[in-house]
Amino acid sequence: MIKMNSIKTKNSMKIKLMIPVALLAVSFTVAKAGTIKVVTTTTDLKSITELVGGNKVSVSSIATGFQNPHFVDPKPSYIISLSNADLFVTVGLDLETGWSPQLLSSSRNTKIQKGSAGYVDASEGVGLLQVPSSVNRGEGDIHIYGNPHYWLDPYNGKVIARNIADGLERIDPSNKTFYEDNLQTFFKKINEKMAEWQTRMAPYKGSKIIAYHNEWCYFERRFGLTIVDFMEPKPGIPPSPSQLVKVIKEVAADKIKVIISSPYFSTSSSDVVAKQTGVKELTLATSVNAFNPIKNYFDLFDYDIDQLITTLK
Amino acid sequence: MVIKQKSKYSIRKTVLAILLICNINSNAQVVSDSTAADSALLKQIEQQMLSGQSSQPAPSKARSGISSNPDIGVVGDFQGSYISKGKKNVDAYLNETEVSLQAVVDPYIRADFFVSFGRDEVTKKYGVNIEEGYLTTLSLPYKLQLKAGKFKEAVGRINPTHAHALPFIDMPNAYVNYFGDGLNDEGLSLSWLLPNKKFYQEFIAQATSGREESPTFMRSENNRFIYLGHLKNFFTINDNTTLELGITGISGPNDSARVTNMLTGDLTYKWKPVQMNTYKSLTWQSEFYYSNAAYTATESRSSIGLYSFVDYQIAKRWFLTGRYDYAQKPFNKKIIEQAYSLTAGWDATEFSKIEVEAKTTDDNLQSRYYQAWLRWIFVIGAHGAHQY
Repeated sequence: MIKMNSIKTKNSMKIKLMIPVALLAVSFTVAKAGTIKVVTTTTDLKSITELVGGNKVSVSSIATGFQNPHFVDPKPSYIISLSNADLFVTVGLDLETGWSPQLLSSSRNTKIQKGSAGYVDASEGVGLLQVPSSVNRGEGDIHIYGNPHYWLDPYNGKVIARNIADGLERIDPSNKTFYEDNLQTFFKKINEKMAEWQTRMAPYKGSKIIAYHNEWCYFERRFGLTIVDFMEPKPGIPPSPSQLVKVIKEVAADKIKVIISSPYFSTSSSDVVAKQTGVKELTLATSVNAFNPIKNYFDLFDYDIDQLITTLK
Repeated sequence: MVIKQKSKYSIRKTVLAILLICNINSNAQVVSDSTAADSALLKQIEQQMLSGQSSQPAPSKARSGISSNPDIGVVGDFQGSYISKGKKNVDAYLNETEVSLQAVVDPYIRADFFVSFGRDEVTKKYGVNIEEGYLTTLSLPYKLQLKAGKFKEAVGRINPTHAHALPFIDMPNAYVNYFGDGLNDEGLSLSWLLPNKKFYQEFIAQATSGREESPTFMRSENNRFIYLGHLKNFFTINDNTTLELGITGISGPNDSARVTNMLTGDLTYKWKPVQMNTYKSLTWQSEFYYSNAAYTATESRSSIGLYSFVDYQIAKRWFLTGRYDYAQKPFNKKIIEQAYSLTAGWDATEFSKIEVEAKTTDDNLQSRYYQAWLRWIFVIGAHGAHQY
């Protein structure tokens, strides 16, 4: 009897547990079915879209956080998520010109084509740096609209968030208040974090550094660093022996403490400079999820600033 | 934290001294800021926030480069060649100049034109050819896309690819035997993206009129067309590895006013580590062709052919490709060609590359012979992405 009772009790408990679990599953399915499907080109845009869109959006990024956003391979598998997307968010300024236009046109999804309501160019309204006065590929990979790595200035994160909120509100106007509230929360947090980041970086203002690729100008300007030179002799051209010699001389002359690079560049050339000069090498994150601790847009700057301060001390 | 003080590579001081002497000041990027600071939009946001915490200077100027002209690109293909038989063994020529004009026409279609100024292999004379010229719909329902015009047909992997994008200079023997310089006709192409969320599947159906001169399929004197169906399956094994499996069926009129049927299969394995995809990669690609051609009411001839290549990226700019060709002649399957080739490529940038290929061919009619090519590809203007 005791056994029977315990079995019955267990069964009734199981049933009691199963009902809410089933209800939760149903409500989750409904909620997921009702979410706005967003595809972003990069993980930074994904993070900001999630912060603005909250539980109203389900977001996927084509590029990972540790790959070169210029050279993502246009795999047909990306077309599946694009073909079902409600919103597409791109960094723009020709950053993704080698892969995203082909994927977009293959998606057969009219909602997210350039000019449609579901297309968001996150760069709209960003104050651009390094806009060339003339275009000559003899200068390397020059971006005709200006340097496209603008998300590495947290204040530009606000512009990105505004553009994403506009996109979400275009296709889902009924939740405008929700998106606007999240946007204001995002702005507030950026302001709070910026105060913290700038205070921490203040002692290192004017620090001279070398960068591997010309992708740090927005970060450099915001946090008062001075990039003296690049490992690449021209953007996109691998380091040449003569460039290494030039950098070695500059490191010695300017007492440069660090060479910063990104997860997707080989360290072999900066290893040579480090061996010759004793300069430190630092691989910073250029995007969310570049390294494990970087889960969102705020973590990105927390991580990079922590690393820089530790190295520049 | 990734601070490294590695000592993987060492340069001798003497070499450094020489390099110091030869030092070239090459940091010549001429750029200016669109603004000394941030945008009007950001300023507006700041005002909305009433935070007054950031110092955001003036707005950016309007962006340049806006034009309603199509994207224009020119691809130059300069070649030198050697062959171990015949009277003329060495030659040099501008093999092809391809001009591309591409743009969206209106909200419904886009247009792509590729005009080829090429050199005829037999006559050695240069001529103009519309390599491709087609429209593509942008807004058909049910994941459909229609192409109309002249286009490279959807046979496997090589045929839809422009020659300058291939990792070797000559085409596989079997491919040349069946398609000459390519199956490239006028007609309609309807592509359907299958609603399969587990892996990518696309079905392409094409009906084309055929060309006046082509090894397998000819333009019919009556109302017969070339019909083609291609199923593409693309599997993502993991972030770094993909597999593509395609199958194609073609049926169309031949030079005996009867029908040739072909069945082809393609298999492509790619390994590209996501993080370092610009430094290392490997592609193993193979295609198999089967043909059955009716020549009279009672006689038909069948043949097979295949190629298989491995393209390995040794370093950021260096590629090595080894290829094997097997080809039965479509008119007599007892004549069998077998060839081995090796191509080394150096990609200076995305816009120029130099390749050298050596090839040896053997068939059961003549003695083994050797060929070599040098190719220099150079691109100006716009140049879109190639198929993955």
